[in-house]
Amino acid sequence: MVERGRVRVADAQAAAAGVLPGQRLATALALAPGLQALAGDPGCEAAALQQLACWAGQFSPDVSLAPPQTILLEIGGCLRLFGGLAALLTAAVEQLQAQGWCVAGGVAPTPLAARWLAAAAAGQPDGPPLRTATAEALDDVLAVLPLSLVAAVSQWSPAVGARLAACGCRVLGDLLAWSEAELHLRIGGAPVADLQRARGLRPDPLPPFAFPEHFAQRLELPGRVELAEGLLCAAQRLLAALAGWLQVRQLQLLAASLSLEHEHSATSCTQIALRFGEPSCDPERWLRLLREHLARQPLPASVLALRLEAEQVVAISGSSAGLWGEQAAGEGAAACIERLRARLGAAAVSSLAACADHRPECASQPRSPLLSAPPSPQQPPTGASQGAAPDQDQAATRPLWLYPQPQALAERQGVPCWRGPLRLQGPAERIESGWWDSGEGEGDVRRDYFVACNPAGQWLWIFRTADGWFLHGLFA
Amino acid sequence: MSSSLSLTDVLARGDVWRGDALAAPALGSIASGYPALDAELPGGGWPRGGLTELLGGPGGAGELSLLLPALAALAGTGGRIALVAPPWQVHAPAWAAAGIAPERLLLVHPGRAPGQVAWCLEQLLASGSFAAVLGWAEAPGQRLAPAQIRRLQVAVEKRSVFAVLWRSTVELAQASAAPLRLHCEPLPQAAGRGRRLRLRILKRRGAAASHAIDLELSRPGKVAHAVAGSRISAIAAAGAGLALVA
Repeated sequence: MVERGRVRVADAQAAAAGVLPGQRLATALALAPGLQALAGDPGCEAAALQQLACWAGQFSPDVSLAPPQTILLEIGGCLRLFGGLAALLTAAVEQLQAQGWCVAGGVAPTPLAARWLAAAAAGQPDGPPLRTATAEALDDVLAVLPLSLVAAVSQWSPAVGARLAACGCRVLGDLLAWSEAELHLRIGGAPVADLQRARGLRPDPLPPFAFPEHFAQRLELPGRVELAEGLLCAAQRLLAALAGWLQVRQLQLLAASLSLEHEHSATSCTQIALRFGEPSCDPERWLRLLREHLARQPLPASVLALRLEAEQVVAISGSSAGLWGEQAAGEGAAACIERLRARLGAAAVSSLAACADHRPECASQPRSPLLSAPPSPQQPPTGASQGAAPDQDQAATRPLWLYPQPQALAERQGVPCWRGPLRLQGPAERIESGWWDSGEGEGDVRRDYFVACNPAGQWLWIFRTADGWFLHGLFA
Repeated sequence: MSSSLSLTDVLARGDVWRGDALAAPALGSIASGYPALDAELPGGGWPRGGLTELLGGPGGAGELSLLLPALAALAGTGGRIALVAPPWQVHAPAWAAAGIAPERLLLVHPGRAPGQVAWCLEQLLASGSFAAVLGWAEAPGQRLAPAQIRRLQVAVEKRSVFAVLWRSTVELAQASAAPLRLHCEPLPQAAGRGRRLRLRILKRRGAAASHAIDLELSRPGKVAHAVAGSRISAIAAAGAGLALVA
């Protein structure tokens, strides 16, 4: 990769040909004529670093950027949550590698020491991706770091490097042996301050990364992509960033849109809407959904860039766990009922209340499902406590289902028929009530109810009036 | 990973079972109140965290009474019960007499638009805050496609919900993602006997069921005196009533 006419990063093959970072492009081309030079794009790198910072939000809310290629996480406060340092590091490295990044990192008690260790790890691609220094062994670990690397990371002036080389100092340990005053005299104030920051002798406040208010990130693809699998790989980075951002903001995702920007058409792009039945913060689930969408989506042209935008987010609804293992109730049900009512209308979702009326059609009244908590289960649910059913014995003879309107039954040879002749199963029960609203409402009712059974084995609740036989309920 | 798992660990999972035995649902089960049925159901009762399909049974055959003991037990411990697209009006006093307080019921009428029943069921199952969700998808306009059943099964997995779906016998031959499928039909009424229901287990996790189960249900209008009292005795009474008639 080339920047301002000089080589910035060379891959292993180029390095074998003698191409080194900092060389002029002409020199590099002379060393390796087949060299493929790629121009660096600072804008893209900054965007990628932003995405990584968003992703890192799932590990720690305390993230800061150190451009061009480092992000710093304060993980001291989060170790317990993730089950220890090793588990956290494994999770972080695995996720980064799954997104296709090369990872080099350092873990140290101070941010500057961590940066130096990360740079050392990056300098040795064959070594372990992470270097760790504990508080006790910090000086020992730092002592072996080459001074050239430290000077590059902390951007010490070239004069300092030259002076150190003249003194014969190659590793950081050589500097640690000197007293502070001596060092100050030889290499100046700034490098000494850096040394003190790295060793924790001087505070090192870092500007925190500000997580954006609204998540909308764009990812330019390295080339033209036509296959769904390739798009998924790229989208994975954006989804991981979204997951971290949601975690920091304490939000959950309801809807997002992914735009695929095509070649040759600067204005048109394919939109894929991701909508979820319930708020979620699981990137695996989003990826599964996206895979389904991409499998069905025809692409008019190859894709150059992706853009992911969180369209609808909701705050994470906290749920309190029961102390004695009782069922968590209330919040979740209310949220679900609200969603159902929003879609179906308030009248379509209701609860029931038993009403003290002998007429069957008046015995159940709709009740708002959100009105109040249901009565405690310790109460006897029926009969006397609520004055609902006229009598417990009678209530047990009532059918579970009622027809909205009594159905007139045919009568053959004096026997009511419904899918065959009905056989009455007991004595009649007279229900005679409602004289006070005769002519309006359900009206005055004078009926003889019977339990009846047809040849198919269906049990019915029928009644007889002066007008004939009617079917009113089913013993389901 | 695989080497560290012993065979017993693998068999303890809900979705792996021996060919000659019944599986144990991972989230437990609820006793159905009918010992003859419990003996044939994996886990000894209605499963939680998996769809149960009931096919057939015209209304009035006792297909709802079959579930009442389990529903009463769930409502008695504070659970809420959602009914999606019930085919008739719920008669509150009868449910209350069965031990289910009407306040614990949630009635959802999704209307006639296609896909609404499936959407409502999925919302209710995925919310996880209902102890039982009963759905009726028998009517020709409301039948569910296999893909919709699969979605519902995914939604209910890992949720401690007793999910029951009534489907039409037209879908008898169709494959389904529900782990438990039962076909129920009423037996013709014999003189002096109560309601009888013949259950055939079409699909279950475990060895295939070899024979149909004939259940004697409580007889409407006759068990009134036995059911008086609390919920627990109502269940016991249902069992006692069964023993008496049998």
